[in-house]
Amino acid sequence: MEIDACGLQVGYGDIIVVDEMDIHLHKGEITTIIGPNGSGKSTVLKALTRLLKYRKGSVYLNQKNLQKFESKELARCVGVLPQRHSAPPDFKVKDLVGYGRMPYQSWYKGNSAEDEKIIDWAMKATGVYEMREKSIQECSGGESQRVWIATVLAQQPDIMFLDEPTTYLDISHQLETMRLVKKLNRESGIGVVMVLHDLSQALEVSDRIVVIKDGKKYSEGKPEEVITQKMMWEVYHVECEIVWLKGRKAPLIAYKEIC
Amino acid sequence: MHTRTVRKKCGVLRMSIVLVVLLVILAVLCAVSAAVGSAGYTIVEILQRTFEEGSNPVKVIVLNLRLPRILLAVLIGASLSSSGALLQSVMRNPLADPGTIGVSAGAATAASTILLLIPGMTGSLPLFAFAGAALACFLIYSMAWKGGVDPTRIILSGVAINSVLGAYTSLLQLLNSDSLSGVLAFMNGSLSGKSWYQFKTLAVYCIIGLILSFFCIKSANALQLGDEMAKSLGVKVNASRIFLSAVSAFLAASTVAVAGMIGFVGLVVPHIARLLVGSDYKAMLPVSIVLGADILLLADTIGRTIVPGMEIPVGIVMAVCGGPFFLYMLRKKGGNYGN
Ligand SMILES: Nc1ncnc2c1ncn2[C@@H]1O[C@H](COP(=O)(O)OP(=O)(O)OP(=O)(O)O)[C@@H](O)[C@H]1O
Ligand SMILES: [Mg+2]
Repeated sequence: MEIDACGLQVGYGDIIVVDEMDIHLHKGEITTIIGPNGSGKSTVLKALTRLLKYRKGSVYLNQKNLQKFESKELARCVGVLPQRHSAPPDFKVKDLVGYGRMPYQSWYKGNSAEDEKIIDWAMKATGVYEMREKSIQECSGGESQRVWIATVLAQQPDIMFLDEPTTYLDISHQLETMRLVKKLNRESGIGVVMVLHDLSQALEVSDRIVVIKDGKKYSEGKPEEVITQKMMWEVYHVECEIVWLKGRKAPLIAYKEIC
Repeated sequence: MHTRTVRKKCGVLRMSIVLVVLLVILAVLCAVSAAVGSAGYTIVEILQRTFEEGSNPVKVIVLNLRLPRILLAVLIGASLSSSGALLQSVMRNPLADPGTIGVSAGAATAASTILLLIPGMTGSLPLFAFAGAALACFLIYSMAWKGGVDPTRIILSGVAINSVLGAYTSLLQLLNSDSLSGVLAFMNGSLSGKSWYQFKTLAVYCIIGLILSFFCIKSANALQLGDEMAKSLGVKVNASRIFLSAVSAFLAASTVAVAGMIGFVGLVVPHIARLLVGSDYKAMLPVSIVLGADILLLADTIGRTIVPGMEIPVGIVMAVCGGPFFLYMLRKKGGNYGN
């Protein structure tokens, strides 16, 4: 699935938050959107997935205008994990993941055997299969984050949009989630667009990076080309050095000492 | 795979057990309610003489007075609970109830206005009440909408609309003291003096509404995950919200047109249902419907028997028991989700 967005303008009420945004997402790639808090990353994500109407510009999915998609048709191509989400606390893990099958079902049907299989697969892939009988309130923040990712996976989308999928996760689960994303991307060719705050992880897993600053695209390209000392200063006002270590594919970011 | 089907059956089993128990309670309540009252016959006597051939006073009382009232209470309880359950999903707030956020008041306003302007429109009164309830819903949304539903603003604007409409109905009362009883009936929901005629009117509307409410289960569930998630799962969020609100308003309005405003049913019943079977509307809605019938019938029976020689309107019984009970549950469970 390819996504082509041109001249997007998005806002809330009277304020324009994102303007003149061109984004091109290639088939089967991992694209990461980075930028400071409030720069408009989530807003762009919402506009690309039709959760929010854009004021100007156009979005095409595989050359088809985003507005022309049926709701369920779109939900079968595009899965979204919003930055903030909530479910009734007594919903069971497997039931929540089961909601990922909604775009494939008519309003009166329950899960078919096929649906059950996919739900099991999604739970196993994200490592929440063992807690499938637990309710959401019994999961830790990190566990519930993985349950939500499983829900998106159960949608079997061609491309999934993850808004800060690693929030709440400890470092081992962060890395594990990144590995999971990479694995899903490599093995099933699923396209990924995500918002990350950890730039080292972005450097390592992304095929492309888009930098957003104050609602405008600052730069876009291969990770090493985009994440530079100059960008770090101009976008984040942070001094750092980009260090290449022997035997590693991606460089590291060495921030200037805090004190 | 096998264990999963077994587990799934467990969930269904739990709901079935709860439903069966509630239905048994309902049957017992019906029998008790048919037996108790100012005429003072024993249950055995009542049962014997009701099924006797020929006419006798007991039969007249039971079949013409008590039975329609019992059935009305059952229908109204079921409808109000279902209405409340749907509203709570649409408004993403477990405190939503047609009685407290002005939906019923909208229905009452429209119904009492029509009744004063064109007396004798009782048959199509539910339709006018529905128009009033729908308008109230629309007002609540337009006041609370800010790029999406905000659960707190919904309740606040609902309460505001409720008091404005309440004031209007009070004004109508003052201005039309001669036809007061008709208007007053809307203020304090009551089943006093209702007969088969009201039952027949209500049955048509309520059964349509209750059937429609079963069409809402999936979208009601999805809306519980939040607008963005629901949308990204392919749910037409705005269309679902309008449909669910309409069904809910329709159910509430039908009951108001016949029995006036009865609060707290739509609030307390879904709450208890959630405690019994969880938030999944597949189980929660049917349980709410039967539980609502139980509770309203109980409240009406208490209301008409607790003080000998006097009938306390069921709306007042519900308010007196429902309010504190709800506060108690709120403290105990803190069962708020979403924001
Ligand atoms: N619902 C809303 N209503 C009004 N303004 C909003 C809304 N959501 C976001 N904004 C504003 O839009 C701007 C961009 O918000 P956005 O959520 O896209 O930022 P972000 O880049 O995702 O930030 P973060 O890293 O903190 O998640 C912010 O200035 C924010 O105040
Ligand atoms: Mg964000």
